[in-house]
Amino acid sequence: MSQSQTTCPFTGATSTPTSASSPSEQPFREAPSADWVTIEDLYKNPFPIYQRLREESPVHWVPEVNRYMVTSYSACHEIEQDEARFSANERNSLMKRSMGHSMLRKDNPEHQVDRDSYGATLRPATIKKHWNEIFAANNKKYLDQLIERGPGADFVWDYAAPYTAENLRLICGFHNSTQQDLQRWSQTLIDGTGNYADDPEVWARAEASSAEVDAAIDDMLPYLAATPDHSLLSNLASMPIPLEAIRANLKMTIGGGLNEPRDVLATTVWALLSNPDQLDAVLQDPSLFARAFEESVRWVAPIGMYPRETTQELVLEGVRLPAGARLGVVLGAANRDPKVFSEPETFNIFREKKPHLAFGGGVHFCAGTWIARAQVAQIALPELFRRLPQLQLDPRSASTDAGWVFRGMTKMPVVWES
Amino acid sequence: MPTIIFEQPDGAVTEVKVDEGGNIMRAAVSNGISGIIGECGGQAMCATCHVYVDPQAASGLPPVGEDEDEMLDCAAAERTEFSRLGCQVKLGGAVQRLRVNVPSDQV
Repeated sequence: MSQSQTTCPFTGATSTPTSASSPSEQPFREAPSADWVTIEDLYKNPFPIYQRLREESPVHWVPEVNRYMVTSYSACHEIEQDEARFSANERNSLMKRSMGHSMLRKDNPEHQVDRDSYGATLRPATIKKHWNEIFAANNKKYLDQLIERGPGADFVWDYAAPYTAENLRLICGFHNSTQQDLQRWSQTLIDGTGNYADDPEVWARAEASSAEVDAAIDDMLPYLAATPDHSLLSNLASMPIPLEAIRANLKMTIGGGLNEPRDVLATTVWALLSNPDQLDAVLQDPSLFARAFEESVRWVAPIGMYPRETTQELVLEGVRLPAGARLGVVLGAANRDPKVFSEPETFNIFREKKPHLAFGGGVHFCAGTWIARAQVAQIALPELFRRLPQLQLDPRSASTDAGWVFRGMTKMPVVWES
Repeated sequence: MPTIIFEQPDGAVTEVKVDEGGNIMRAAVSNGISGIIGECGGQAMCATCHVYVDPQAASGLPPVGEDEDEMLDCAAAERTEFSRLGCQVKLGGAVQRLRVNVPSDQV
């Protein structure tokens, strides 16, 4: 099968069958340099920057980030679907340093061995039979805590974070740890993965968490081998998978399975509370919670960028890239590409349904996609608005959102009539 | 070479040749067939390559697997007895020509 055909089935977006062939076969240009892009600006609000980048070229060299940033939908989509030319196994990976060499930084066939070792734990049938009930119990517990804290409580830190952390703790099988441990591990390991500034204190915290996770895994594996449950570690306890891979994959899962559902939950609620007409529609028809979730991850993808590395010199949407080029696949920009989404900067649950790239694509398509949909859209959102129908953003204390590689609400005080 | 005939909800029909052993999803994505996404690249994880196979041909195909079965329950369009995930249905052998209907919704 040819590897060069990547027409987007919904938009017909640009990637022509020749777009990624070798440079000698077609006209190309060099990637423009975007020396005006700063990490500080990206962290505050990346979307105006993405707009300007996308309008100029689908691919830029961005000196401050020290990689090429790919911002068009079609180019990001093309990369996702072609691991032969765009390797996940990048050199000098911060993620490998922070978390070890997980499946997310492996190409096939190695990646598939690790991925298969996760078994059915994260798949829809297991979610339905097993996890939904647990998610519902956790949701009740942490909603009770939010309500007890009273108006003015912070939606992220008093509810979304502990709820998603407790879910992840049980999914992983860390029966010897607390949801607070999971939150600390997740944040410090993610901070290491994004430690472009090479801050030694960030590395020290990531290393400390890494050691704690290793110890917790070592402790749990024999227990779960004798007392199996539905968790990932329980599944792994009976698998011929090297301990190094188990450790790295669990750290990746901690980093990828907590902040992201937490951020989707908070962003979705923020967006609905900021758009009362859409909230009314959702409350009238709860099946729309799923739409709100998908629109939210399109609008603000919790993972806004991930790395790839070219395995050969090639042309991507008319831009030449050398072999070994380090790329940032900017999902946060692709998901707002006006060639695919009309009025892309607007949160609109009624927009024409199109596939967003927030869960990635190809062989690395997010393994936790269905877990996220279940715990956020099926369990948390309906129950939250059932118990707090008068929920509002606190008019006296503004919410804050931040981040670009990872983006979400960092502060979100809420009020209700108690 | 085996052939797949894709029929869109509006009745438009496209014929696609596929390698022996190739699957419906890959054939669709490679040939720009609209309405079939295949976001997860063929792991039966995303339910975006849902198709309705020709009722007359359905019984000649290998049965729906466990992963495929649970994922079909998550498809955006209605599941019927002829629903399959395109990534799980290979052409070749006795199946040299297959007609499939593309659903109206994939996400």
